[in-house]
Amino acid sequence: MTDLEFNICVDDYSDGVYRFILKISKNKEDAKDIVQTAFEKLWVNREKVETLKAKSYLFTVAYHLMIDQLRKESKIIMTDSFDENANAITQGSSELKQLLLEAINNLNPTQKSLILLKDYEGYSYQEIGEIMQLSESQVKVYLHRARLILKNKLTHLEKMSA
Amino acid sequence: MINENNYETYFMSYIDNELNAAERAAVEAFVLTEPKYASTMAVFEKAKLHAPNVEMEDRIFLYRFPEMQASLDPDFKKLLYKKEAPVRKVSFTPNLMRASFAIAALFILFIGLQLFKSDSPLLESNIVESNIVESPLKDKNTIASANILVPTENKILANAAMATKAITKNRTENKNNNQKENQNENQTILASTNYTSNSINTNIVSNSSSQASKENNSQNIVTAKLNEAQISSSSMETMASDEDKIIPVIPTSYKEIDTEQEDRTINIGMLEIDGATFRGITRRFSALLKRNKIEKEK
Repeated sequence: MTDLEFNICVDDYSDGVYRFILKISKNKEDAKDIVQTAFEKLWVNREKVETLKAKSYLFTVAYHLMIDQLRKESKIIMTDSFDENANAITQGSSELKQLLLEAINNLNPTQKSLILLKDYEGYSYQEIGEIMQLSESQVKVYLHRARLILKNKLTHLEKMSA
Repeated sequence: MINENNYETYFMSYIDNELNAAERAAVEAFVLTEPKYASTMAVFEKAKLHAPNVEMEDRIFLYRFPEMQASLDPDFKKLLYKKEAPVRKVSFTPNLMRASFAIAALFILFIGLQLFKSDSPLLESNIVESNIVESPLKDKNTIASANILVPTENKILANAAMATKAITKNRTENKNNNQKENQNENQTILASTNYTSNSINTNIVSNSSSQASKENNSQNIVTAKLNEAQISSSSMETMASDEDKIIPVIPTSYKEIDTEQEDRTINIGMLEIDGATFRGITRRFSALLKRNKIEKEK
């Protein structure tokens, strides 16, 4: 990977990695540090990492850094501070979207990561498995469980509002 | 094949875009069969997240430019390194501590023994002086000088000190004024007739120093004991020369100190150590050293 290719990776993937980490860690500074570290690692290993796999490499490094950070800070249960940063990543001002964000907050980090990698980044089950070190079938099962939770939550809320 | 039991899985796979074209077509056909499936599919669609527009802050710090890779020449870097002497790290292990304490204790004991030994000459000199005091004086003519000489031990010591002072004084004088030796001798003769202890001492000193100066000041170092002996002998000579009177030679005797005495003690600082205590200390040290040796062997 050349200097130019690395800088293109910064242009193309830094926002996605930052958004993914910010959504889970809910702390801007932590998210910045993790992204910076991930790109530093990419730079150090630029001769080993192919340009086409740079995105997957960045998400993999960032995901594991985030998990380590959460373990250190015992922030595995994420509930509160998401609302503060949620304004930056809301999909609109509709009530339904707010309910959806609340439902996502109740997911565990693994389910949340699966949803984000799939919906935000559009990764396949196989790619998600590589990033999160899970098998393809595990990704499918965990992701479907998360989607069912969200679907049931939305159905319940819609019934309540109706 | 999609059916009532597995349609949710197919719907989720459809939303995840994990189905092939045929499967997607089958799902779309299945949704149209009943309205509840369509509503279910709509809820799944709603539960899907859409990526917000979030920009990475401080992205500029992530870029890498060739200028950032500039580095110093390795040879130049080496020149900048500070040369330091290798640091020796001494690991202060318990065994080393014990050994150092043992060495320190032995050192203290050695100093104590040295002090103990240094006490013995003083005792001997005291014995000599006491013998001088206790010696009988037969001649009446010598009574005066004897009384002045040795009424007490303190006087003798004072005379000896004065004698040493006079020796040094006369040494300097003799060196500078060799021609005045005869005058000094005359003075000593005259002064010796006065029967005063001080004058006697000075005479003796002057005599001895004049003799020494004649021998080109060789062997001028005279101890206090010698001075005292010369005091007695030279006083006899001077007295004999003037009045032909005999002064008895005071015999000196030495007393041996019994170092094997059980109740002898040495003082190390405030600590008084007798023979039994010393033996106990040495026994403990030997036991400690033996134990260390056994531990090392293990």
